[in-house]
Amino acid sequence: MQIFLIQLLNGVQLSMLVFLLAVGLTLIFGLMNILNLAHGAFFTMGAYFGLVVANKTGSFWLALLIGPLLPFVAGMLLQFFVLQPLAQRGRSTHLDLALLTFGLLFATAGAVEYIYGSAFHSIGTPDLLKGRVALLGIEFPLYRLFIIAVGIAIAAALVLVIDRTLVGATLRAGVDNREMVTALGININVLFALVFGFGSALAGFAGIVSAPIMSIYSNMGIGIVVTTFVVVVVGGLGNLKGSFYAALIVGVTDTLAQAYLPEAELFAIYAMLIAVMIFRPQGLFGAAGRVA
Amino acid sequence: MSALEIRNLRKAFGGLQIIGDLDLKVPSGQRHALIGPNGAGKTTLFNIITGWQPPTSGEILIHGVPVQQGRPDLVTRGGLSRSFQKNMLLESVTVLENLRVACQALDASRHSIFRSCWSFSDVVRRAHLAAEQMHLDTVLHRNVNELSYGQKRQLEVAIALCAEPKILLMDEPAAGTSPDERASLIKLINGLSTELTILLVEHDMDVVFAICDVITVLSYGKVLATGSKEEIQSNPQVIEAYLGQHHA
Amino acid sequence: MSTDFILTRDKRVGALKRLPVPALGRAYAALFGPFAVLLCALPFFASGYVVTLAVEVMIAGVFASGINLLTGYTGLVSLGQAMFLGFGGYGIAIGTALLGWPLWVSAPVTLVLVAVIAAAIGAICTRTRGVEFLLITLAFSQMFYGAAIKLRWTNGSDGMTGIPRPDLSLLGLNADNPTAFYYYVLSVAALALLMLWRIVTSPFGSVLVGIRENERRMTSMGYAVANYKIGSFALAAVTCAVAGILQSQYTYFVNPDAMSWQMSGEGVLMVIIGGANVILGPLVGAAVFVVVKQALSMITEEYNLFFGIFFMLVVAFFRGGVLGAISKLIGKRHERA
Repeated sequence: MQIFLIQLLNGVQLSMLVFLLAVGLTLIFGLMNILNLAHGAFFTMGAYFGLVVANKTGSFWLALLIGPLLPFVAGMLLQFFVLQPLAQRGRSTHLDLALLTFGLLFATAGAVEYIYGSAFHSIGTPDLLKGRVALLGIEFPLYRLFIIAVGIAIAAALVLVIDRTLVGATLRAGVDNREMVTALGININVLFALVFGFGSALAGFAGIVSAPIMSIYSNMGIGIVVTTFVVVVVGGLGNLKGSFYAALIVGVTDTLAQAYLPEAELFAIYAMLIAVMIFRPQGLFGAAGRVA
Repeated sequence: MSALEIRNLRKAFGGLQIIGDLDLKVPSGQRHALIGPNGAGKTTLFNIITGWQPPTSGEILIHGVPVQQGRPDLVTRGGLSRSFQKNMLLESVTVLENLRVACQALDASRHSIFRSCWSFSDVVRRAHLAAEQMHLDTVLHRNVNELSYGQKRQLEVAIALCAEPKILLMDEPAAGTSPDERASLIKLINGLSTELTILLVEHDMDVVFAICDVITVLSYGKVLATGSKEEIQSNPQVIEAYLGQHHA
Repeated sequence: MSTDFILTRDKRVGALKRLPVPALGRAYAALFGPFAVLLCALPFFASGYVVTLAVEVMIAGVFASGINLLTGYTGLVSLGQAMFLGFGGYGIAIGTALLGWPLWVSAPVTLVLVAVIAAAIGAICTRTRGVEFLLITLAFSQMFYGAAIKLRWTNGSDGMTGIPRPDLSLLGLNADNPTAFYYYVLSVAALALLMLWRIVTSPFGSVLVGIRENERRMTSMGYAVANYKIGSFALAAVTCAVAGILQSQYTYFVNPDAMSWQMSGEGVLMVIIGGANVILGPLVGAAVFVVVKQALSMITEEYNLFFGIFFMLVVAFFRGGVLGAISKLIGKRHERA
């Protein structure tokens, strides 16, 4: 029972990490109709930039603060100078753009390997979050609890921003009806670039957050991005709240499968996704009709 | 038995009612026009009749047989075909190929997987015939995306005719065409077999009057009036709701 | 005036005088002869290295041709076709090594099983379209990739070795000889491409193109499009499995990497390079890809970096592919003439 509880918490912790990636991916898709297969590249980018900052300053917190800036800028530039012009050229469909970002995913992994080699790195756990806490009769690493808290906090903040603020209202309107946002006199290209940058920054943030418990290496983004795809499809492409619940389902399934059904570890979540696709092709939480 | 019978049809999207308690009977061989202002539910009605959208309630009978929802292909095979309001063409292949594929849909050869599709000469011949019929024989080998808008509208109708329907639904076939094209369209439709039942949605009243014997006026998903050209033209409600806008 | 062709369609039999032969078809036919002669004679004048490279090109070409049926002709972009490459390799590996069946039993059984499994997978995947189709095919391939890594029966991530090449002793040949193996691959590839060419020019193939162009219209014409899409998916899968069989025979082994999504991506890349929806496009794309990959491996170890950049450039600037560009040229010349 205790072991189960620990595994469950581990699952939730993984869920929150994947959620940080999924929320950006699904927001970008919902708003711009771009499936960014390169989302994992920003995860890697954030982690490595965080690593550089941590090595220079010795501070995890500075790394966490500064690290996401690089993916933010890179994401913005990618959207504004590459994807948007290609999409506007008309001939390219969102499928072409997905394939382009597929190339970018591998190019980034290759570039990172070229610069940093294929060694494994890590950022030390900050002193403040070292150790374990007693919880419901088990000892659980404080840092993992921190990840869970960060995930929930960001989810809550996003819900607040999107449901309660003008920015959120604009975004919601944009997901439902792009023309309307343009009609409001908002420069849609700039808005798109900012959102793309923000989603990328969140992915980079996740990369740094994960650094004390997972390794930093060149292909780190390729593995996790596939899990993220599963989350956004299960949650319904473009559905923010759906991606939170789906992240929980996927993260917990994956962790529990690893613990109790090691043979199924590498395919449990895919089997689940396929089951979802059979019974609810629009995703568990997807609004029927909002299909790509 | 009517060729097409609509009983008590209702369609609502959320709280918004598009069609309410619609009843319509179109006897075999009748040329029936459906007119009404934008938003009267005409295209939605076509979508329901052809099985693309399920009705909220009510029934559609084609030759007495209820329409199987979600299978528009079976509706076409059952002898009812339609042209679309927005062109739905195979854009980057030739006109001939569009027509050939359309004719092939009825032919047993559609399942053939190893013989060249051009070797089924009956299908190819019918495609050529359809092109001639629709005055598309001069652009036979052009890709559809090179055609003028009017030619595309003609092709749209031609494809619907290739299904050899007993009932033909046309959704604004004359929209965006030139007066000449309109005249030849009217001539062509009037030359079709008299056994063919036609349900026509059209905004151009000249086209409607030239083709149809019976006109039904829809407004907000309800039948406002049904009758001959003269009856409709003199109906005060209709004049107010629809004709008034055009003939004022 | 007889405008009632609907009811009397056979009245005007004489109306049709000529069947159109597209100008492009003729141009390809003219190129095809010398090309075929070149391929047949290759081992007589080319070095062993070139012959080996040609084998790799043909295997990759068959793989890409399978993807092309689905992507170029039917318009469904999949990122999971490598799973069928793996199925082919694992199929004959399991058949020959684990079950002890001869190759001539294992290979056909494998292809039939792949067709059945692919029809089932296709029935699920083809309910979606666009990027969702891309993601679900990816999920399927990742699932089998994960299973292959875990499955002890097939040696997990080490994969299986000792995959037999065909016994050509009746012809007095030994398939372990590179030249003999070249002719074996050439025959299989030629047969596979010939069958694909028959398929895409058949009524069935024309329906696939129609689905790519406008699925709603095809349904409205009276086609049960779902069945055609599943059929296309299964046929594409079988073609990829043929490539998988050849690949595993070429290297004498198969491992889960054959099913990785990078492999699927490489296949899509070849299709785009060569020009989608042209029957020989994937072969040309495979040739360009294999040669570029070889050249890159000689000058750098950062394969991923260049693969990624190459991929991006091709997608952004190269739609229509090599053959697409040639087609346009021929088309323009034809128009002027």
